[in-house]
Amino acid sequence: MIDLLKAEVLKVRSTRTALGLLIAALLIAILPTVLAVLLIPKEDLVQTEGDLIAVLGVMPAASLVPILCLVFGILSMTNEYRHGTISYTYLTAPRRGQVIVVKLVVCAVIGAAVMLVTGLLALVTATIGTEARGLDLGIKAAEVTDWEMVRDVALVLLTTGLATAFGVALGALIRHQVVSVAGTLIWALAVENIIAGLKPTVGQWLPFTAFLQVVVNAEEAETVAGVPALSSLEAFGVSVAYIAVASVAAVYITMRRDVT
Amino acid sequence: MSVIDVEHLTKRFGKVLAVDDVSFALQPGTITGFLGPNGAGKTTTLRMIVDLVQPTRGTARVLGGRYRDLARPWTRVGALLDASGFHPGRSGRNALRVVARSSGIPDERVEQALELVELTAAAKRAVKGYSTGMRQRLALGCVLLGDPEVLLLDEPGNGLDPEGIRWLRTFLRGRAAEGKTVLVSSHVLAEVEQTVDDVLIISKGKLVAQGPIGQLAGGASPVVRCRSPQAGRLHELLAGRGAAVNRLDEALAIRGPSAADVGQLALDNGIVLHELLTEQPSLEDLFLQIAGTRRAGQ
Repeated sequence: MIDLLKAEVLKVRSTRTALGLLIAALLIAILPTVLAVLLIPKEDLVQTEGDLIAVLGVMPAASLVPILCLVFGILSMTNEYRHGTISYTYLTAPRRGQVIVVKLVVCAVIGAAVMLVTGLLALVTATIGTEARGLDLGIKAAEVTDWEMVRDVALVLLTTGLATAFGVALGALIRHQVVSVAGTLIWALAVENIIAGLKPTVGQWLPFTAFLQVVVNAEEAETVAGVPALSSLEAFGVSVAYIAVASVAAVYITMRRDVT
Repeated sequence: MSVIDVEHLTKRFGKVLAVDDVSFALQPGTITGFLGPNGAGKTTTLRMIVDLVQPTRGTARVLGGRYRDLARPWTRVGALLDASGFHPGRSGRNALRVVARSSGIPDERVEQALELVELTAAAKRAVKGYSTGMRQRLALGCVLLGDPEVLLLDEPGNGLDPEGIRWLRTFLRGRAAEGKTVLVSSHVLAEVEQTVDDVLIISKGKLVAQGPIGQLAGGASPVVRCRSPQAGRLHELLAGRGAAVNRLDEALAIRGPSAADVGQLALDNGIVLHELLTEQPSLEDLFLQIAGTRRAGQ
């Protein structure tokens, strides 16, 4: 397992996919914050001063980075089939279940790390921007160590990691890269929203809506997803269940598939 | 004990029977050619041996057990199945390091393998910048990482230039001299003819011949070649006596009668011969003969 972990880490380090993910995540997380700080009139910012941290610092990163990480997870699996490296992967480690498990773990850690880095950077950017405009972002030392805040941050990081792992599982189930990425994005960004709009009670239980309800807090989720929101913990439980099912299915199917 | 033991291996992809009840055993220290035209079932058989493809029926055992049950299999069995199986954005060195790390092989061995396949100078370059021959050599380097006792090579000569082919022959002979067992598939018969001890010939998924190359070649009928300005007349006479004759202008290739029989027939009928010789069958002749027999029998 240790050998496989080392190989998987080298796979990530030796191509530009992970670096591309990090750069894209940073851009996506920071750009809205910078634009908001620069362009939103001060009086409008003052009105939302209580929620500035959410609006400027965390929201863009928290809602967009998991989607990017999900795509990264899909790519890390489907690239193996696309470039034929899967043959060497299974020749050196014929117990395919272990390969999938290691990939799930490594990608989950990378997803969480990318979320942490982008979240922190977005927060720093928002702090600098708001202070430059004479506003208080409202972060107090007591809040940083507050149990609920620590829990929320941990849930966001965990869910982003799990979303990345979910991508790996989807990539293992649907090996064709274009179909896998396009299908997942269409489902996540369009189909679930339509279902949530038509049947809110069903929509809140769908996988990507559940992820979203964890990464933004429950109150925001109601606005973003347009459905009666689950609590962060409930949504986290649903997310874990989806990922567990997808991962088990990925291992089961991968072990039985021919590599031709 | 056999190094590779294949029994009744069968693979069906939907309606296509890719491999049909193939059985063979390879002894240690031998080089065996696995021959057949494209689509004959060579690659599928090799992939079943290393557990990449699940057989519909039958078993394949490597070094006494299933490939998946070997501890660190890449240090026991090296398989070259797809020379394009490298990420194009990864450098040659890192491509080998990934394989080495997942098998617990130290990085020093990567440098040795790169040296052996003469790719040290290009090791930093991304694989997408490699020529087909360089990729093939990289794949061979990958196979050598674990210094395995068994080598399964699927069309290893693809993309190699004549110098590379010669290097490959020397390389294979060297491995056999070290007591390693090599199974090398090819559809270019001349490529392996000078290298292998035994051959397995597969056609349309079925193993149609196997054995030492000399023995199989000895069992094939020789070809009598002759040139005559009256080739058409001689062709008719030979065909009338049941010989298999191919004619191209003045040249005839005859299977069945001996050169003496052909010479006597020409003399008896006043036919002038400019050339008459017996050619011992090559592996290619043998293969075409067997494949032709099968085709005719279907």
